[in-house]
Amino acid sequence: MSTELIHWLLYGGAMGLIVIGVVGVVVLNNIFRIILALFIAEAGANLLLIIAGYRFDAIAPILTATSATQVMVDPVPQAMVLTSIVIGVGIQALALALVVKIYQHYQTLNLREIHQRMSADINQGCGIISLFSHERPAGSRPLPEPFVPEPVDSEPSTSEPFTPGKNQGDKK
Amino acid sequence: MNSIAFNVALPLLTAFLLPIISSSSKPAARFIGPFVLFAMLGFALVYFNTLQHPVAIALGGFLPPLGISFHLDSLSLLMASIIPLMMLLLWPYANKQGYREESLLLLLAGGASGLVLSGDLFNIYVFFELISVASFGLAAANRSAAAFAATFRYLVISGLGTVLALTGIGLIYTQTGTLNLAHIGLLASQLDNPIGLSAFALIVIGIGVKAEIFPVNGWVPEVYSAASPRISALLAGLISKLAVLVIIRLLVVAYQGSDAYIILLVLGILGIIWGELSAWRSKDLKRMFAYSSIGQLGMVLVAFSIPGDAGMVAGIAMMLHHLVVKPGLFMLTEKWNGPISKLGGAAKSSPLAAILFVFFALSLIGVPPLPGFWAKLLLVIGLIQASSPLYLTALAVLLTATVIETHYLMKTAIKIYSKGKKKQVKKWQQTSFNLSVISVFALIMLAVVFTLTPLANKLNHIAAESSDRVLYINTTLSASQPPLSQPLSQQMGKVQ
Repeated sequence: MSTELIHWLLYGGAMGLIVIGVVGVVVLNNIFRIILALFIAEAGANLLLIIAGYRFDAIAPILTATSATQVMVDPVPQAMVLTSIVIGVGIQALALALVVKIYQHYQTLNLREIHQRMSADINQGCGIISLFSHERPAGSRPLPEPFVPEPVDSEPSTSEPFTPGKNQGDKK
Repeated sequence: MNSIAFNVALPLLTAFLLPIISSSSKPAARFIGPFVLFAMLGFALVYFNTLQHPVAIALGGFLPPLGISFHLDSLSLLMASIIPLMMLLLWPYANKQGYREESLLLLLAGGASGLVLSGDLFNIYVFFELISVASFGLAAANRSAAAFAATFRYLVISGLGTVLALTGIGLIYTQTGTLNLAHIGLLASQLDNPIGLSAFALIVIGIGVKAEIFPVNGWVPEVYSAASPRISALLAGLISKLAVLVIIRLLVVAYQGSDAYIILLVLGILGIIWGELSAWRSKDLKRMFAYSSIGQLGMVLVAFSIPGDAGMVAGIAMMLHHLVVKPGLFMLTEKWNGPISKLGGAAKSSPLAAILFVFFALSLIGVPPLPGFWAKLLLVIGLIQASSPLYLTALAVLLTATVIETHYLMKTAIKIYSKGKKKQVKKWQQTSFNLSVISVFALIMLAVVFTLTPLANKLNHIAAESSDRVLYINTTLSASQPPLSQPLSQQMGKVQ
């Protein structure tokens, strides 16, 4: 295999890792997996940088008495990748800390559910009544009575959207 | 000469020492943060007033393009003095016990100063990550469940942006073999190809997460409504402008006259449409301001996408205007956080706040004597002069967006001045501390109204200096001797 081909394979591999990561972040629904996908993408970006400065016939860029005359690989991307790995680890730790906090508050790792609960929380903080408020677990305020739809055939008008206040009134 | 480096070093050092200081003496920990910020403001203002022409500082004694350099011109020094000023205005003075938020704010100040001053792509990346991490901490600082969840989404989008930006930086490095912005500018002809343009697009999308650029701004409404208003004010007012600054530096130095302007213009137009329409149908003030700031940032991008000095003047004016108005508006949501339909009677409980709201809203819309009008006028004139179909489309979108803006802001103003229920009216009372902070923002804008001519001259000077590509390159590279017209890798005998 020629070095040219290997080079392009490596570039393709790095791009592939980035694509896998990005698709994973967009598609996955478990927040822990999203973090893993994010770091696959970051590994891809780091690999891309390393390949940008790599030469097959060169030695590691460390200056010693014997290496001074030989061709070295480019040290700048290596320094960059070293920095970006360290930053990546920091962000990873922060992300995991946030996951722990989210799990403590919402008892779930499902992104869609977290998003619904968060929107409900934000809406409630703004004083906007949202349709999700039934699904809020017991906490700062009492749960409303569960909503039981009446049989459709007897009264067709019940298909209108449900509002919590109205329902409570009906039950009483 | 090098004392501007204190603007980066001092807040970073204090940020990490603050927990230790706080454990030995609480009052000292409370005062050291504002003290450091005042010192930063002093350094930056001294440089801003004395600097006649741009200067590059080679840190560590290595000359650029090999060493790390700071690039000091009037735009970067202006931003470097605005950073501590905003921090001082939005500092948590009432916070008696904690040192966490103070520490994060100082981290943010240090990272932001480094970001605006540095003339090196990789340093920009590192400082950008620093302010990202600090802003994650600040966004989650009120420790509510919603804040954690919103911050998580912010972190994921921002992390993805980091990956894209790093890929873009890597692509630029493969094309030019350098990371120094001035040197990249010298080799700009090598970036005038699809790879160079895709690198620019990747960096814009990646860095644009903070600048609320169109496809990557899903986090904005959630974070701004879950975080405390002070933090939202900081993120919307200051941090977004820092990201914009990085983008225009790259645009001016490396991509002058290329299709990169079109990328920016299209992203800006989409941002305006999405932001203003979402703001129009939002039901509470926090989210309305969050979406409206997406729209405003879109206008800033459209302004910077006009080639030449006209675009630069309009862009900087829009940027500075939004930087003052949006924090003022966000501070109002501290108490006015209910749905807009129930805000009736708010004007009765705190009349000054209502007047300030109307003042800011009129300036945001662009009503003649106020600063917002002049900024928007510069933008409109620039768009008419550019006169290609895409720029005229942008003009149409801008004017339509202004109409929409007028509708939702005036609707809110009318609601505030309408009668409300007695029980709720008390809830809308603003605290006097908040009111004084908001008044400072309003006073800054009033001062602008009365000193329009000297400010316009200063603005023209800043814009001419920062849109001059040759000046930027010469400033950094004139001190270094070797011929730099070919890539560094070729000079080192790496011709393939």
